[in-house]
Amino acid sequence: MAFLEISGITKHFGQGAGAAVDDFSLSVERGEFISFLGPSGCGKTTTLRVVAGFEQANAGSVHINGAEVSSVPANRRNVGMVFQAYALFPNMTVAENVGFGLRVAGQPAALMQARVAEMLELIRLPDYGRRYPHQLSGGQQQRVALARALAVQPQLLLLDEPLSALDAKIRIELRSEIRRIQQELKLTTIYVTHDQEEALSLSDRIVVMNLGRIEQVGTPFEIYNYPRTAFTASFVGHLNLLPVQVTDAATGACTFEGTALASSQPAPNKQAGSARLAIRPEELVLGGAGANRLSGRVLSVNFLGNVVRVRVRVGAVELSVDMFNERKLVLPAVDAQVVLSFPAHACWLMD
Amino acid sequence: MPPLLHQVFRPVPFCTYYRMAEIADTRLARLQPRAGFKLAAVWTYLGVLPFFVFIIAFLIFPATNLFAGAFQDAKGNFTLVNIQGLFSPYILKAYRTSLEVSLITSLSGGVLGFFVAYAITMGAAPRWVRSMLLTFSGLAANFGGVPLAFAFIATMGRTGFVTAILKSICYSAADASKVCPLDPYEAGFSLYSTVGLAVTYTYFQFPLMVLVITPAIEGLKREWREAAENLGASAWQYWWHIGFPVLLPSILGATLLLFGSAFGAYATAQALTGGSILLVTIVIGQQIRGDVLGDTNLGYALAFGMVVVMAVCIALYTVLDRRTSRWLRR
Repeated sequence: MAFLEISGITKHFGQGAGAAVDDFSLSVERGEFISFLGPSGCGKTTTLRVVAGFEQANAGSVHINGAEVSSVPANRRNVGMVFQAYALFPNMTVAENVGFGLRVAGQPAALMQARVAEMLELIRLPDYGRRYPHQLSGGQQQRVALARALAVQPQLLLLDEPLSALDAKIRIELRSEIRRIQQELKLTTIYVTHDQEEALSLSDRIVVMNLGRIEQVGTPFEIYNYPRTAFTASFVGHLNLLPVQVTDAATGACTFEGTALASSQPAPNKQAGSARLAIRPEELVLGGAGANRLSGRVLSVNFLGNVVRVRVRVGAVELSVDMFNERKLVLPAVDAQVVLSFPAHACWLMD
Repeated sequence: MPPLLHQVFRPVPFCTYYRMAEIADTRLARLQPRAGFKLAAVWTYLGVLPFFVFIIAFLIFPATNLFAGAFQDAKGNFTLVNIQGLFSPYILKAYRTSLEVSLITSLSGGVLGFFVAYAITMGAAPRWVRSMLLTFSGLAANFGGVPLAFAFIATMGRTGFVTAILKSICYSAADASKVCPLDPYEAGFSLYSTVGLAVTYTYFQFPLMVLVITPAIEGLKREWREAAENLGASAWQYWWHIGFPVLLPSILGATLLLFGSAFGAYATAQALTGGSILLVTIVIGQQIRGDVLGDTNLGYALAFGMVVVMAVCIALYTVLDRRTSRWLRR
């Protein structure tokens, strides 16, 4: 049995309401960093709260380190949790906050002080012990919240959108900090987020969720490059979709407005007819020598820094094309006629 | 939706009101175009003029007069006789009764109000109960004076209907005598006593507490309770270490407000007991109403004494507030 075993969790809020979480099962190995990724209301936070013991599931079980915990109250589970924001106790200093778990456990003061100092060192705020939460920035508060959760040496660390209330820059900084600490302590971690970039950059594995169900579980590379459902494909990363007619379901050949296109995989429903051809913006090339070629007119050119995103109208659809920025890059003019190309292995057919 | 009374009416230290006014003021100033600045300033001052006129005419001027009067005899000469008079047994007893009633009702009303507020915020009470209770509190907290006294006389007085109902619940004892165990007046209760007064005051004290403390309890974040639980704390440990300390400044402020409202009450007690219970406010009434035994200047001194008591309370509150809200200061 895996270190954390979630089996068949189902949770309804009130009678007649749809399932917030529907038959959720997942095995997490010790030391793994797992992200629950999905839009708001997809059940990711509810699942996390079931693991933490704040919600009682209507069905299913949770095993942590071999022990069934469904009937264990939240304050006995030894699971650390970091909340979205503002969950530090406002009437306590940073040191008191971090030491709280040890204090209520009746640990001796000397041990508590040593542990607090160690934790503050870990989050790189060693001199902030005497401050009150309102004297800290949002990013510092979340670091302290992390230290507080880690001080009791939890078996499992749960993070519920810990960065979503912070500025973009702090978010990226703290993101790598969380990953560093997690790897240093080899801590089994579940991270809930609606931010795909966070999930992709942090996780060993990502669980994509929608409407209370798991859409796909996989490494960031798998999730991004080989999405198995239409939801995953469109939620993670940007995706171009071409309405096509499948001409050969076995090889994945199809036509778009009369132009023959090749894809590398067979059609998902194994039959000819209408389908959609999916392709990531970064796989499309202006000009180029790809097997598939489409011509269109440039609608707009957006300079995003490291990437330039070009919108091109091809027939009835608009496609996004991403190009890496470089100094010598020649940007296409708006209204210019261009040819787009992409290789067969870069695209796939979806229902 | 217009803001509920409890949202407008919060026990905030005066300095906070001042700070809010200050912030609003600088914002207003920023909004004004430079050229129209002078005119805007004139309008602003014109707006606050009635306030200052009012304060000067009805607070500062009478208070100064009153303080001066406390140190004057009937002819206007300086004297300490009035202040000395405050220490006569009769008046000391009045202060004691006033303090007693105020303390008892601010504590009982405070505790009761706190639990009601807790029940409607943290408890599972349905929404309509909550809004009904808040509306009731808004009314009851301002329902004092003569109508309240008569309402209580009509219900809990010697011939009040609640008294009558309780009186009528009787049974026959073994020796065929009639026993009425619930008769409040047989049991020693009297509406016209200090206890009766305390019961009557509680009618407006506890709703006042509900109004004042509900927003504070609502301010307790669910995350705090869950974080505490997550770190292994029991519900009791959460309240001891977080919930109660966070609420303490608000509870202190609210209790002081309750104390003040009971300490200054006059009409309720006068109408209820006809002046038979000596509260400071009733003695002041006796002194300055101008009957034969009245001594206006002694009345002034009594009022001066009340101001001193309130000042001491506020000073005490300030000290406690500093201690309990250390974590709020920047």
